[in-house]
Amino acid sequence: MPVDKVTQVAQTKPLHGEIPVYAQYTFGIAGEKFFRELKDNGRLMGVKCPECNLIYVPPRIYCERCFSELTEWLEIPNRGVVHTFTVSHIDLDGNRLKEPVIVALVKFDGVYGGLVHRLGRVEADKVSIGMPVEMVLKSKTKRVGSILDIDYFKPV
Amino acid sequence: MQRRVAIIGIGYTPFRPITPELSFKEMMFEAAQRAYEDAGVCPRRDIDAFVTCEEDFTHGRSIFNIHMPDNIGAVLKRIHTLPADGIYGLADAYMLINTGLVDVMAVESHSKASNMLTPNYLVAHAMDPVYNKPLAYNPYFIAGMEMNRFLCETGTTEEQCALVAVKNKANALLNPQAAYGDRITLDDVLDSEMMFHPLSRLEMSAPADGGIVMVLACEEKAYALSDRPVWVRGVGWCSDAPSLETRDWGKAVYAQLAGDMAYRVAGIGNPRLEIDFAEVDDTFAYKELQHLEALRLCRPGEAGLMVEEGGTLRDSELPVNVSGGSLGVGRLDEATGLQKVLEVVIQLRGEAGSRQLDDVQVGLAQSWRGLPANSGAVAILSNE
Ligand SMILES: [Zn+2]
Repeated sequence: MPVDKVTQVAQTKPLHGEIPVYAQYTFGIAGEKFFRELKDNGRLMGVKCPECNLIYVPPRIYCERCFSELTEWLEIPNRGVVHTFTVSHIDLDGNRLKEPVIVALVKFDGVYGGLVHRLGRVEADKVSIGMPVEMVLKSKTKRVGSILDIDYFKPV
Repeated sequence: MQRRVAIIGIGYTPFRPITPELSFKEMMFEAAQRAYEDAGVCPRRDIDAFVTCEEDFTHGRSIFNIHMPDNIGAVLKRIHTLPADGIYGLADAYMLINTGLVDVMAVESHSKASNMLTPNYLVAHAMDPVYNKPLAYNPYFIAGMEMNRFLCETGTTEEQCALVAVKNKANALLNPQAAYGDRITLDDVLDSEMMFHPLSRLEMSAPADGGIVMVLACEEKAYALSDRPVWVRGVGWCSDAPSLETRDWGKAVYAQLAGDMAYRVAGIGNPRLEIDFAEVDDTFAYKELQHLEALRLCRPGEAGLMVEEGGTLRDSELPVNVSGGSLGVGRLDEATGLQKVLEVVIQLRGEAGSRQLDDVQVGLAQSWRGLPANSGAVAILSNE
């Protein structure tokens, strides 16, 4: 018996569905410490791998290069440079943004890694790779222990 | 024991923007049926093991790989399922046959992207849930940032990137299976909507549906079953750091190391001389250039110049993405890499019709797993 194929789009009837998946994301040892310092003291913290002489931001308890356990914490200056950036014109739903957002990877002096965040108080056409920027935090009462406790990075 | 491994059968459904008439399981069945016919094998009798490559959430389901065996003839047989690009499945089949564990194996991957109503969210939920996801940006910002850094480090221009899109969409016009063939100009690309500066809309591949199945066999079975085996001479794969913060933003290190491994396995010392043509990942136009450099198919920093001088056109010394690539064929989720392998096989068999390349013996296929991943695989194939 041959397979009869559908020849009319009107005869195709997709069933719509969704997956309600909810989860908690634990910060872990390194994340707890990083966000507690950010929230309570407005400080950026990193972790050093003495083997590789690398400082990790975001911090972690292991080195991705040599697999050492990392325990040496240190404060990171809140000024860095734009390693790369984009001007995003599209939101998560695929619609064009009225106000494009400038997203950047900010690297800190001597640090392996950095932070992905938005740039503020600057026009898109004034941003360049290598531009010095500094962290702007939300006021202490508004900080909850989240990457959004950082409001944005602004040009120095 | 080291045994040679050949691709002896290929089957695929056309790559289309939408496929409303088939379920993904029927699409897999059709591709498998064609591959087994092409190889002259019965899956129930002749195929020892199977591997499939896809991600369940792209199908709006969870743990969906339990539903893989029946539609490709693998029930009560050995099957393993990878949440990875199809070239990883090809590498698995290569290893299992090469080491003598199985003689004949099928590799499957497909895309049913048109069923996914919220594709951006799929990518967004793949990002680090603590450091990145709360920012709630459209995750393609990663591509814009990567392109910007690549341009900065290499001096490649936006025009050179745009030329990749012009070339690949034109190539796709000669590929009857490609969904997005088009005759466009450099200005069309540069004037298309700015999405994630400096990445414009026509430099981003659009999704397509399609299923691909391949049958691989050891040398003895390959000669018994096929009069046109295509040999898998080398495979390689690699993952760079997954985090956005520590990965390399200018270079495709994963592709460089995957290529180095594949070249070593294949015994290739000088890729520029020994590779006749390549299908490399072009999910975004700049990615083709970044990957050509990583794979040492041009001098460092010169991929843009090479494209500008026509050095990757279909009649040049190194035709790149003659199938149309992902920009011309459509991006096929985890089947993206297998589409590149497929084109290499078709070319090496001499079955590419009006897009057939003259006198080709060795082809390279390379995949990148797509956003936000930082990993990929390489396969080197030969008809000798
Ligand atoms: Zn280390």
